Amino acid sequence: MANQKRKILMIEEDRFLRKVYRDKLSKIGFEFLEATNGEEGLNKIIAEKPDLVILDLILPRKNGFDVLIDIKSNKNTQSIPVIILSNLGQESDIRRGLSLGAEDYLVKTEVSLSQVVDKVKEQLVRVKT
Amino acid sequence: MVKFNPQKFPPNLYKERPKISEVISVVAHQLRHPISVIKSYLEALISEDFGKINSKQKEYLVDCLENVKRMAKNVNDLLEVSLIEEGKYELKLQPLSLEEITESVVNNLALWAEAANCEVIFQKPKAKLPKVLADPLKIRQVLENLISNAIKYKKAGRAKIEINLVKRGKEILFSCEDNGIGIAKEDFKKVFTKFYRSEEAMEIDPSGAGLGLYLNKAIIELSGGKIWFSKNKDFGMTFYFTLPIIEEKT
Repeated sequence: MANQKRKILMIEEDRFLRKVYRDKLSKIGFEFLEATNGEEGLNKIIAEKPDLVILDLILPRKNGFDVLIDIKSNKNTQSIPVIILSNLGQESDIRRGLSLGAEDYLVKTEVSLSQVVDKVKEQLVRVKT
Repeated sequence: MVKFNPQKFPPNLYKERPKISEVISVVAHQLRHPISVIKSYLEALISEDFGKINSKQKEYLVDCLENVKRMAKNVNDLLEVSLIEEGKYELKLQPLSLEEITESVVNNLALWAEAANCEVIFQKPKAKLPKVLADPLKIRQVLENLISNAIKYKKAGRAKIEINLVKRGKEILFSCEDNGIGIAKEDFKKVFTKFYRSEEAMEIDPSGAGLGLYLNKAIIELSGGKIWFSKNKDFGMTFYFTLPIIEEKT
């Protein structure tokens, strides 16, 4: 169990961002899963049971807020920590994301890659303890 | 050569022109995406997670990253301007210690100030000041802007910046006095307008968008305060703002 890689699912439309997070998170030992839209993301959450989800908000098919509502209202998935990583930085968006149950809310232009990775690790430690 | 003339262009296509603030908002949102991608890629390269780079390559990548961050700042400022103009700008007002935030901003800027040959003196009030009602992130943004402007637009040689906080009736008065290049009298009316940049400021920092003081004014006024400036007797300027004191229930 100790050697089992922890799964991170990134639901993000932009292939370039997925690529850099895939490379970074795989490099430090995570299993990286990805989805390009909200519906695919939800299907992967149910099928793969990731340890953490990095969720964008502006997504095709199902937006990130709706994905979050579905994750947090399903008893099989509600304990999965969700980090929102979005370009929406308005106070009302942040409030909404956190009130819907996201563990953290990060604005893409304001955080560095390593800060996001640190937040991922932090959340996984919390889940473990 | 064919010239595009929107007047001749057909039915309704240009009838409903979007407001400029809407255009800015859309463009800024569109720019944020590639900026965050480039920023992440540069950070990944600089971290050397995917292989060593030599010191010159690292220096260039760090310079690229710094410029991407500047671009991000300008785009974020533009987005804030469009939100202000559309009446959608939101502040998360809460009781806070202006003294603590000022001290933290001064400490954060200390290394840069020293490297720029600037002495920044924050006269901490003798008695603890009451809290004010403001948005902590936005007030930090105002303080960073005012103090970093004072550092950036200094004269040659050793510069001195004095920051003070005092209680004045039902408000706290912040002041930041510098002995820098100052502002020409004919520009006084433009200081808090969008995109205002003096010629000297453009020479010192060509990358600025001239939105900082406009945003400061919006943030302070939306928080119930006032912002203004005065020209010092000898050199430089003093910028002031006030924020209302919050009566805390004991």
